Amino acid sequence: MNALFEDFDEIAELAEGLDDASPGTRIMAVMELANSADPAAIAHLARAISDADAGVRKQAALALTAFDGPETAAALVSALTDSDPAVIEAAALSLTELKDPEAGDAILPHLGDTDTVKLTACFAGIKELRRTEAMGAAITALKHEDAGVRIGAVGVIGWLQDEGSLPALRDAAKDVDTNVRRTALAALGFSKSEHAEATLIAALNDPEWLVREAAAETLAKVGGAKCVTALRIALEDEFWQVRLKAVRSLGKMNAVEAALEIAPMMDLLIPNLRKECAAVLGEMAAPETRPYLEKYVDDTDPDVRKNVRWALGKIDAQ
Amino acid sequence: MPLAQTSTIVPVVIDDALCIADKGCTVCVDVCPLDVLRIVEGPDGSPVTAHMKYDECWYCMPCEADCPTGAVTVNLPFLLK
Amino acid sequence: MDEILDGTTQIDCDILIIGGGTAGPMAALKAKRKNPKANVILLDKANVKRSGAISMGMDGLNNSVIPGYATPEQYTKEITIANDGIVDQKAVYRYAEECYGIIQELDEFGIRFQKDQNGEYDVKKVHHIGTYVLPMPNGDTVKKALYRQLRKARINIINRYMATRLLTGEGRIAGAICVNTRTAEFLVVRAKAVVMSLGAAGRLGLPASGYLYGTYENASNSGEGYSMAYHAGAGLANLECFQINPLIKDYNGPACAYVAGPLGGYTSNAQGERFIECDYWSGQMMQEFYDELQGGKGPVYLKLNHLAEETVAEIERVLHIVERPTRGHFHRGRNTDYRKDMIEMHISEIGFCSGHSASGVFVDERARTTIDGLYAAGDMANVPHNYMLGAFTNGAFAGLDAVDFIKDVDFADFDMGDVDAERTRVLAPTKRDDGIPPNQIEYKTRRFVNDYLQPPKVTAKMELAQRRFEEVRHDMETEMYVRDSHELMRSLEASAIMDCADMAAAASLYRTESRWGLYHNRVEYERDDENWFCHTILTKGDDGKPAHAKKAVDDYIVEIDEDEKDAYNNQRVTSTVAAE
Repeated sequence: MNALFEDFDEIAELAEGLDDASPGTRIMAVMELANSADPAAIAHLARAISDADAGVRKQAALALTAFDGPETAAALVSALTDSDPAVIEAAALSLTELKDPEAGDAILPHLGDTDTVKLTACFAGIKELRRTEAMGAAITALKHEDAGVRIGAVGVIGWLQDEGSLPALRDAAKDVDTNVRRTALAALGFSKSEHAEATLIAALNDPEWLVREAAAETLAKVGGAKCVTALRIALEDEFWQVRLKAVRSLGKMNAVEAALEIAPMMDLLIPNLRKECAAVLGEMAAPETRPYLEKYVDDTDPDVRKNVRWALGKIDAQ
Repeated sequence: MPLAQTSTIVPVVIDDALCIADKGCTVCVDVCPLDVLRIVEGPDGSPVTAHMKYDECWYCMPCEADCPTGAVTVNLPFLLK
Repeated sequence: MDEILDGTTQIDCDILIIGGGTAGPMAALKAKRKNPKANVILLDKANVKRSGAISMGMDGLNNSVIPGYATPEQYTKEITIANDGIVDQKAVYRYAEECYGIIQELDEFGIRFQKDQNGEYDVKKVHHIGTYVLPMPNGDTVKKALYRQLRKARINIINRYMATRLLTGEGRIAGAICVNTRTAEFLVVRAKAVVMSLGAAGRLGLPASGYLYGTYENASNSGEGYSMAYHAGAGLANLECFQINPLIKDYNGPACAYVAGPLGGYTSNAQGERFIECDYWSGQMMQEFYDELQGGKGPVYLKLNHLAEETVAEIERVLHIVERPTRGHFHRGRNTDYRKDMIEMHISEIGFCSGHSASGVFVDERARTTIDGLYAAGDMANVPHNYMLGAFTNGAFAGLDAVDFIKDVDFADFDMGDVDAERTRVLAPTKRDDGIPPNQIEYKTRRFVNDYLQPPKVTAKMELAQRRFEEVRHDMETEMYVRDSHELMRSLEASAIMDCADMAAAASLYRTESRWGLYHNRVEYERDDENWFCHTILTKGDDGKPAHAKKAVDDYIVEIDEDEKDAYNNQRVTSTVAAE
């Protein structure tokens, strides 16, 4: 009979394969070291990440996903300047899997690096580790010429949730790149400040609908009377996706004063929007919207119908 | 009563040039939930390459995703593709 | 490899967990952490690294109950209504209360749940009553992350052994008999407690493609859990509440309205109109789907072509990497572009799976079956609509309770004659010189399942099914022939599938009413709350055939208002009239 249980081999024994002449054998050793889930394997994988064969290096970069901490992070950062793009891609992916804040020690010194790919990967890696020391470098990087780097930097700032970063986020919300603007607006969601509010409201006039959508969505988190006024205007956006987020946000803020503006939107032809309007009108439960809802109690669209009936029930329960 | 030899086209294809079964790799065979892959052995019993032995594929992809050298391709079974 | 060897080994452990997909690993980890001295074995027919329904990952949680987005009360209410009231709420409520803790634990394992740009959970609004959908951006790494935890905890893992029968003695669980899928050698595991987490019975109906393994469920989930529980004498609940799902036609994989829905995609008829509620799968929804297909308004589609390019690209990104990555291959092969084309959908073959419906081994809120020391969790246990997070959470309950159970017990004595009888049964197809291969036995069984059991259910057809099943069973028991140990595994699966087919017919005949929409649409009977507002429990009778009993639904802990009880039904009845 073959070995019954999966085995737990000695790490040193598994690592011997890394010295074999055949790259295939070295790849096998890397995979077995990864399967061990034993931190003693990290040092060996760190060695394999500078193997002569690109296939081995890539596998080592992937294998390090199984581990955490500064030693793992250092090995992955070293692979970000590999000659093979596949190795870099693997290392960048593994960096985003780090959880241990201490792993950030190995990334922080590289946040001023000139290599764009490396910098993007380092920001992506440090983001979830929430290291406050990364703030300065992230703010500096908002001026970087590469949009990917700027998005990464905004991500880091957003996760740190520091009111001190608001001016930087406001600048990022005016970035030339659509995705930087979107990300920056979403990142403002932690703040209840007038600063954040003003930036988000201004963004409702952005030329890109994706940016306006992000602003309309995030305004619900910031709250406040000015937000309601701005969102009521956004109900007339030319993109239904933006209108839908405005409706939802007004619903979340329970802005009953907007109910009679939302109610006529039930007559529009866009199913997703009508469904959302009905749900929000139910949450608001304003009796004056009843006639608008009643028209659609037997709507052919079942989601609209269901939400309309639910909404009418909510109004009745008042 | 002999059983018939009916031919079938199998969905999982291995690039022999990339496969490192000869180095002892059995990753694709190990991860297949339906256990349909096997290693072809040479005349001396040594491993040569992987292949799909049984046409019982859920086209789920671990064999392709986990292969360290990109030697495995999962196609959809003809009957449903 | 694959030759048939002779041999039997016996080993002992405290807790044997059968099935290393989703619930099993969590049960093992929880048990080991609670009692590090416990000898826990996790056994799988495949390889724990990539076994089970989430082999390639999962794109999100459908039923996360996260404080601030939904409450256990709301969730329990929703599940109770979606399941037409036949719910023991205690189990659902406990799940709802504790699943957030499990999410946080999974997060620590490295399984990432979508967070917003401030690092907070980004729960997608799908229902106005509660919000339950939590996307998983690196959902393709779920199994790897789980496997890492198992290795770190040094759980004893046995791969490529298929459990075929449970052992019982002294009125409780005693262990399991297993067979190696590559050598046919036997392994008898004595255990003080056993957790069953063997997944759905997904190879019950035959997919429309005719390809045996082109199933909705992972095709290795062939119903052994249901079969073993049955033969051990455990009760199985509401098996007539079949699993039927809306799927991409031919590909037979999920269209994932849960992914597309929050982004604006929906299921439409040929006119591009939404005709079913998109918020939550239910039997009633499947009935509407069926009616539309049959009623001349089909084909039915997943509609995305009204969405903006940026949104379609996002949906593609998720749908083509996670859970069923070959979806992308399939659409490319057929030149389907989400931007221009609607995606043709269909309804799946039937199966048992409480992950999506409610058909499973009866368990309480501690995952205990009706046999002492035997637990069940995940798709095969009857906590309704519990999906992946339910498998993790109820698996955790099973592991934790099993640790308490083994404190005061030793191994139960069992009859060695049971082991000998099982060896004889298992090996019979290896002792013949020729005969019927397992794939033909399986095909015929599953074709009859489609012919006679696929709803709408008709009494005379189901009775015919029983006769046909009996004939095929006879052929299976006297003529099935295998050439190697791999085929032997398939023969054992064919036998489990046959047991499930028998149970599906018997359970469906027993409940003489219609309930759960299409899942149990018995055309000759209306819904009948007076006689059938109860669970049905199927057990193995003294005659070796399925026996039935009614079991009262436990008192609700979250009251459902009278007008809410029929919320789904009422809305539809009126609407159909209005639409016509």
